[in-house]
Order: sequence, then C-alpha cells, then structure tokens
Amino acid sequence: MNNIRNFCIIAHIDHGKSTLADRLLQTTGTISERDMQEQMLDDMDLERERGITIKSHAIKLDYKRPGGELFNFNLIDTPGHVDFAYEVSRALKACEGAILVVDATQGIEAQTISNLYQAIEQNLEIIPVLNKIDLPSSDPEGVGQQIIDLIGCEREDILIVSGKTGEGVPDLLEAICERIPGPKQEVDKPLRALIFDSVFNTYRGSVAYVRVMEGVLKKGDLFKFMANKEEYNAEDIGYLKMSYEPTKELKAGEVGYVIGSVKSLQDVRVGDTITTVKNAATTPIPGYQEAKPMVFSGIYPTQSEDFEDLRSALEKLQLNDASLSYEPETSKALGFGFRAGFLGLLHMEIVQERLDREFDIDIITTVPNVQYEVKLEDDSTIDVDNPSQMPEVGEIDAIFEPYIKASIITPADFIGPIMKLCQERRGVYINQIFMQNNRVEITYELPMAEVVFDFYDKLKSGTRGYASLDYEFIEYRKGDLVRLDILLNGEPVDALSSITHRDKAYYQGRKICAKLKELIPRQQYEVAVQAAIGSRIIARDSIRALRKDVTAKCYGGDISRKRKLLEKQKEGKKRMKQVGSVEIPQEAFLAVLSMDEDDR
Amino acid sequence: MSGLYLHIPFCKQACSYCDFYFVTRQGKKQDFVAELIKEIHSKKDTRYTTEIVKTVYFGGGTPSLLSPKQIEQILEAIEQVFELHPEEVTLEMNPDDVNKEYLADLRSAGITRASMGVQTFNQQLLNFMNRAHSKEEALHCLEVLSSSGIHSYTVDLIYGNPDQTLEMLEKDVDVLLGFNPPHVSAYSLTIEPKTRLGRQLELGSLIAPEDDLVALHFDLVEKRLREVGILQYEVSNFAKPGFEARHNSAYWSHENYLGLGPGAHSFWWNDIGQSAERWINEPDLNSYLSGGWENRAEVDQLSKHDLAEERLMLGLRTVQGLDLSNLEKQYDFKLNPKQEIYLHQKVKEGKAVFTESRLYLTKEGLKIADAITLDLLS
Repeated sequence: MNNIRNFCIIAHIDHGKSTLADRLLQTTGTISERDMQEQMLDDMDLERERGITIKSHAIKLDYKRPGGELFNFNLIDTPGHVDFAYEVSRALKACEGAILVVDATQGIEAQTISNLYQAIEQNLEIIPVLNKIDLPSSDPEGVGQQIIDLIGCEREDILIVSGKTGEGVPDLLEAICERIPGPKQEVDKPLRALIFDSVFNTYRGSVAYVRVMEGVLKKGDLFKFMANKEEYNAEDIGYLKMSYEPTKELKAGEVGYVIGSVKSLQDVRVGDTITTVKNAATTPIPGYQEAKPMVFSGIYPTQSEDFEDLRSALEKLQLNDASLSYEPETSKALGFGFRAGFLGLLHMEIVQERLDREFDIDIITTVPNVQYEVKLEDDSTIDVDNPSQMPEVGEIDAIFEPYIKASIITPADFIGPIMKLCQERRGVYINQIFMQNNRVEITYELPMAEVVFDFYDKLKSGTRGYASLDYEFIEYRKGDLVRLDILLNGEPVDALSSITHRDKAYYQGRKICAKLKELIPRQQYEVAVQAAIGSRIIARDSIRALRKDVTAKCYGGDISRKRKLLEKQKEGKKRMKQVGSVEIPQEAFLAVLSMDEDDR
Repeated sequence: MSGLYLHIPFCKQACSYCDFYFVTRQGKKQDFVAELIKEIHSKKDTRYTTEIVKTVYFGGGTPSLLSPKQIEQILEAIEQVFELHPEEVTLEMNPDDVNKEYLADLRSAGITRASMGVQTFNQQLLNFMNRAHSKEEALHCLEVLSSSGIHSYTVDLIYGNPDQTLEMLEKDVDVLLGFNPPHVSAYSLTIEPKTRLGRQLELGSLIAPEDDLVALHFDLVEKRLREVGILQYEVSNFAKPGFEARHNSAYWSHENYLGLGPGAHSFWWNDIGQSAERWINEPDLNSYLSGGWENRAEVDQLSKHDLAEERLMLGLRTVQGLDLSNLEKQYDFKLNPKQEIYLHQKVKEGKAVFTESRLYLTKEGLKIADAITLDLLS
C-alpha cells in the first residue's frame, strides 16, 4: 500500500463539484485563503460563468492525516458535459477512485449515471457523497436510496458534505485515504503513461498531462507518442500543483506533466500513450480513439475582410482544443469561411462564444448539421457534412443518418411532454424505467440531426429544467431525407440549405419562407422567397418592394442627425450579405434555428 | 451670404410628435428676449458678421408666443450687429396665436413670411397630435392670413397619421387648397423615440401606419398640389414658382447659417472652404439665461468628404437635384464607376435622371431617397 490516491469527482452540472473541489484545495492547504477564487480549477471565464468544466484539469494535493501521515492526492477534474464523454472516459482511466457527488435537492441525473457506470466498469472505488444537504428542499433519504440502488452500497457508506460550509470535508479526506486503493507501482515494466489532457502554452509548446500507469519517465528521456510515433525529449517533467513543480522522475502511479518541445497540440492526443524510445512498451493503453466531430456548422466572418483574423483565431483555439476541426469552405451567400466540426452542440456554442469574446470577431454561423453517409447510384459512398454538398436527387441511392441512444431522467410528471418531444423528433421509443423519488429514465433512439437543433433547450423548458439528458452514438440508419433549398429571386442561398425528413419538408419550407419574409427588410424590388426540393418549389412567399423610405424633415439640425444615422446604416449594410440583388441580414441565416417548436 | 436662425423655446403645450427643445413655462419670455439680444450683440465684429444676412428665420418652440414688440426688438438688434439685406424674414406661428392685429404688427416689425403650423383641419387628429389649436382656429388663421398683406406664407400639413385614411387626407387638402396658399410644407408623421408618440409606439398602444399607405398619402398630396400649380421642390416642400423658402433652401446647399437661442444649430465653413463646423447652442433655457450661450454644446467637425456626402444626401431630396460639376469643384467629389452603374440602373427603373452634369430623383425615386442615398454611399 502506498500513499498516492488518484481520483476524480463525478457530478452533474450545478451539483457542486467545483465548490467541493475548491474546498478540498483549501482544506489541504494547496491554496491559501488569499489566492482563493471561486471555482479555482475552471480556468476560463466561460467555465466559471456557465458553472461547467469544459476541459479536464488535474491538481496534486498534499494531505496530512490527523495522525501525521502524509498522502499525495491527485484530483483529476473531468469535463461536465455529454459532448466530452470520451475525455471523461480517459480521465476515469487515470484514477483508482471516484467521488460521486449528488445534489440532495435534485437526485441523480442522466449524465452522472452514464459516467458512474463507466467508473464502475473501470473498477473504480466509488465514494458516494450527498451535497447541498443544508438546503431546505433537500431529500437526503430519497436521494440516498437512489444511490444505494445504483451502486449497491450501504447507507453508512454515504458521506454527507456541504461544499459551501466545508462541513464533512475532513471525513471525505479520510475516506479517500481509507477507501480508495493506492495505484499499482509497477516501476520495472516499460513506461506506459496515459495522456488524459493536454494544454498549449505559448512559451513551452504543448504540455501533456499524464498518469504513469507502468514504468518510470525520467527527465531527459527520449519518449514517443504511440499513436503517431513522433519522438521528443522530455525536457521538463513534474507535478501539477497550482503551478508546474518540476521533478526528476515520474513513477508508476503518479500524475504529472511532460513538456518536450511539441509544437502542435494535434500531436498530444488525449487517450494516447507515451512510452520511452529505449525499452519501449509493445502495446499502448487500450481505448484510444481519435476525436470524431459529430456536429458541423459553417463559420463565416460577418465582414469578409475579417477572414484572415478568423483563420488565425481558429488556429489559436485549436491549439487549446484538439477536438475542434475545421477546413476552409466557400459559400456563394457568405463568401469565404470555414466548415467546423464539433464534438457536440455545447462544444459548438463554446467555440462560437470564445471567437466572440477572446478574439472579438463577429461571425455568422450556419444551421448545425450532422454528417450523412450518402450511397450513390454508382454504388460508391460519400460523407456529406454540408447540406449544400448533397448530390442531386437523381444521383442518390440512399441517405444514412447517425442515430443516438438518448436516456432522459425526469420527474414522472413530465413523461408526457418528453415523449411528445421525442416523437416529434422522429424518436423510436425503447423503454422507461421507474426509479426512486418519482423519477423515470426514458430511453429513445433518435436521429442525431433532430437533437442538434434545439432539442436540449426544448427538453429543459418542457420540464422546467428538471430533465437531464445523456446520449451516445449508436449507428447510421437509412432515412427518407431530402435537401431543402431556399431561393431568393430564383437564386439558391447555399447557406440556408438544410437536410430534413421528407415528411417535414413542406411544413418547414413554408415556415422558413415566412420567417425570411419577416427578417429580410424590404428592398427596392419585390423579392420572391421560395423553398424547393430539387427543382420542385414546395413553398413560396414574397417580400414586397419598398415604397417609402425618406426622412420627412431635413433642416438645420436634422442634417447632422441624418448624416449620423446614415453612417450607422452604412455600418449595418456592411454586415448584410448579398445574394444576387438581395441583401440578407445575419439573423436570417439562423432563421431555421430560431423557429419555435410549433413551427416544426 | 448667410442665414440667421433664432430659436424661440416657448410652447403652450407639448405636441405629441415633437422632439424639439421647448419649455411650457412662459414667465421667462422677457428675460429670454433680453438674453437673446445679448447673444446677438456678442457676435459683433466676428466672422459671422462678415457676410450679408439675407434670410432670418424665427423657429421654435412657438415664436408667435412673442409679442410683435419683442420681435421688433430682436430684429433691431440684428440690424445693429449684422449687415442685414432681408429677402425673407419668416416667423413660425401657431393658429391659436394669430389675429388680424397681430399679423399687421408683425408685418410692420419686419416679418415678411409666415409659417403656419396648421398640421390638419381634422379635430380628431389635432387631438391626437395634442396641438393647442382647434379646427376653427386653423380655419380662422388662414382667413386672416390671406388678407394680412403677408403674401408669402407656408402652411404645415402632417399626413401619414395612424388611422388617417386617404379620404381624411383628401379632405384636409381640399380645405387647404381653398385658401390658395403659395407654399405648403407637407410632412409624413415621424415618430421620434423620445416623444409621447414614441413611447406609445414602444408600449404597443400605437401602431404606425404601413409604409405602403403613407406612400399613397404622399402621392395624393403631390398630385393635388401639382394640379393647382403648387409644385414639389423638396421631399416635403411644395411652392408656386417663386415662393420657395429661401432660408430652408440654403440649408440644403450648405450655405453658412448662424443659429441663436437655446438649442439652435449653426453651420459655418472655415475660411478656405476646406471644412466646416456644425454645432448646437446650449440647449437648456436656464443655462442659456445665465450666459450659457457662450458654450457650444456639440460641435461636429465636417471634412470635405463628410460634406460631399451630406451634399449628395441633401441634393437627392430636392427636385432640382445635384449639379455634379459643382460637386466636383466645391467638394472634390466624383461619382465612382460603381456608383454610376447603380445610378444608371435607377434611371432604367424610372427612379432617377442622370446626365453628364445633373443628377436628380424622380417622384418615385424621391419617395425612397434614403434607401438610394444609402446604397450610393455604402
């Protein structure tokens, strides 16, 4: 038995994971009161604001037991969103134990269960913790029973903690020492270190966060990434304290960082294995996957002269976020831009928001879509991640779309609305399982395309925020899908094309036309707005020509006002996109997205 | 040559559409006149007195709340300070202030032109606009004006009001034309954000009329006035030949003008005609009364390019349009090929006339002058 404890915290958003982590940092003296700021481990403003963890983090805590014995804890924080399920699985792999934090006022949520099952599968020791017991609406009895049912523990195994007040934290620290096993320390085997996260540092290049599973990595060792066989020198290795703490070697069981002049974050892939060039391990740690984007969207600069800025911003974002992929694309309507691939919708939102906040670039994003497999008449198959690239109807034999298995946990009162939502989204009902506390787990198989739009928002608003969602990709299935084009004055607007189920196309086409009529300002000509499948027009509307647009009074002081207004309008016009003779405001490109539920 | 604008900031009550500066307290009138005269004297021997003043305009507010005596005092002061060769001395007046005697006295004080704020003869609409006068007063003021010896006058009309039908407008125009006015200023109602109507619009208790209907109003006014020889010469201005407003027209051709009184605007070219300034006088009456007219509240520095764009914007609002060679000579501004292509397109659509030396919008073009100006300049 050694004194190292590697563990993570499994919790749902809002269940108090970050607060509890803060408390652990404080109680172990890892960080002084003075340096403490809330949600210490969440680096990005965005993470703090949204109260979610986007990237994994790790930190070494030195814990002195009441008897004086010293323990080394490595707390490996995991991303808190279903988009990052793979990153979570790698973080779990680096641990021997997990603290399961459940909000006593809310009960267990879908995603927590999925992470918990992963942890159990990987033989992690689970320490169940009930949080927020100080709140009047908490139900420690019922939620406790849920936990017992799920992991089969005894009631007395459940710790009661308040992240807010720090109550119960000393017991938790002791439980970590006593219940979680220390890691195996097979130092004589060839080196195998698991990369569970990576960050980019402007001065030092890519930094790999690793858990050494077997063997020893010494400073100065020549090492390689087993996925791409690239070799580097371990220039600096060390422990992850509040700052990097260099050391001479990292041994089996330990967690730390490795720096080796790795220029691109693309080379440091989460899940990959590091081994030494000398006495190399023969096989990597199993489970490595390449990050596969699930959701795609066009990203265009609002003003075409910002294209290069957008490119460099995306490059910089990718340094920190290896799961973001993008390539240049051109749209007739939007000009030069990029088609970007994301792990999921949240990931997409985060990237968009960071472009805006950290790089101050105004962007237009097109409606997100999934990747389709299209079997052509000539028996070949192509992948289509951009609706405008969908081949003509005559060339297509069949279109296949990704399906997910979605599990939704909800108070039983909301079963009706959830089923309605899933049915509307072409869901296939699988089952429902009643749990403790009047809660139900509903499982549906759904086309992923139906989930990427605004499924999550609808789910939340339809259940007053109570339902939680977890999903995983299952397979590609054949679908009766069509490309719905939108034409303005007879010219197709590529950025407004979407792929939709044939049954929904007519209704959706009509709704998009109506929405565009509302959003596109009247122009000097009448503008025909049409929706089409192939060459068939399935909906039509028109924007009447502008009849009157002139300021009434223009005397002494009015002139300055009028000129200033003109300057403003010029700016506004710059942001419009021109298709043929029609000027389209940015909002129009998200018209499909912003349609209400009953619009579908 | 320059113009003088005098802002008289008093009103009996607030019209629901008005966002000009005014106060409804009347007690300070005499103090104001004294201060205005002080301000006039302060301009003695400045650059503003180097040019001959040909037009004077009393605007407001409600200038007709001043007595003829007070108007006379102001004009006397102007004569002492400026080289005044008056071709047009206009005073804005409200129907409820006007009677035969008042007009006669104004005339002897030196007023040559009246601007009558009738707006409508429809009592319902007068109420909606919260005007101080009644339908009867509107009729009466035009009667006395016709026989006052002030031959040059304009009548303000507002169309495009919420719930105003074409029939209602037709009736207004009928009544107006009965007086055979030499000049009409017809405005479509503009709902400004900080007015009572603006707030109602925000709250949803008021719905602005459809642009298409307002366009029909515009057509009706233009047609009816044209039929009796009152011709459109600017978006909102119509006159029998020779009765065009000189003071206002000077605004549109960037002539110098000096504004006096609280919140008055001024425009003045620099010495070598390379740039200009436009500024606002201290707008608050109390500050103004304690000598605040020495401050210029907002000063806009206008480059030659700014001025060229302004000139284009203003010129496209007039029937006469723009003299392109002058635009090049005075403003170093030449239309680029893209702009020319655009204008040729407008010619094809019947919205503009574009020759070597002239550019102007047709009746159809005039109605969307803002859109065309924006297209042209962006």
